[in-house]
Amino acid sequence: MIGRPTAVALIAAGVVLTATALILPWYSTAYAPNVEVIVRAWGTEVVNKPGDWPAGELSPWYGLPIAATAALLVAGIWVSRAALAGAAAQLGAVGITTALTISERGHAVEQQGDFAIGFGLVFLAAGTLVALTGAVAVQREPK
Amino acid sequence: MKLLSAALLVLAAAAAVVATFLPFSELLIRLAPDQPQTAYVTTGWSTHFGSTNDEHGPLFGIPAVAAAVATLVGIRWRKVAFAGAAALAGVTGMLFVYLLNAISFHKAGNITIDPALEAGFGNGIWVLIAATILAFGAVVVHPDD
Repeated sequence: MIGRPTAVALIAAGVVLTATALILPWYSTAYAPNVEVIVRAWGTEVVNKPGDWPAGELSPWYGLPIAATAALLVAGIWVSRAALAGAAAQLGAVGITTALTISERGHAVEQQGDFAIGFGLVFLAAGTLVALTGAVAVQREPK
Repeated sequence: MKLLSAALLVLAAAAAVVATFLPFSELLIRLAPDQPQTAYVTTGWSTHFGSTNDEHGPLFGIPAVAAAVATLVGIRWRKVAFAGAAALAGVTGMLFVYLLNAISFHKAGNITIDPALEAGFGNGIWVLIAATILAFGAVVVHPDD
């Protein structure tokens, strides 16, 4: 038992961390010469894209499901059930993101790319775990 | 109601696990006019282009199975069932967003190679969505509260 105010504070901290993750880069890969692929919550940016790369962009809006779970977490500050839904759904979404990031890293290394995890992904993971801790704790606290 | 909810949760978890073995996305392309179509298929455990296996293919099956396990544990506790259903929804939502973009990327990037190419969702994603709906249905009729 950590008390309801502490649990709610953890959920709120999770929201802030998650919101930061929606802005900062998630991961990037640098290729020689000066080519860099930067993945954010709202798409992929290719710096100095070579002419022989495919025309389309693999640029998903990962931020969309995260914005939805973050909205649930915000509602979770008042409604404990929404906090549980938001934190669990965000954990599931982060699971898919983790699988993708490991795969992307494998591809990048295979092509002699310099892969780096960004602060966005770190904050997303931290925010999800902090929010989940708060959401689980708040279920056990009397109103 | 206890039995109905347990049955729905088992069904939802089983469907989620089965979904990871079905194709999430499929691309059929003819690399040369006289060649047969090559299939580019992503499942929860592998990504294949024809007979070539992408050894760095994303393992979407792991989070999906983890969510399915939480859903099963939910047979005992309603709140765990609710969390499991939400986790399934999160897995499905993020996967859907990724696949939607990957499919349009397949089309845009390869349409000049084969104007008759086919790219779209596989049955796995629909089964996963069905599993999510079943899990939430089970939570609604779950008696333990």
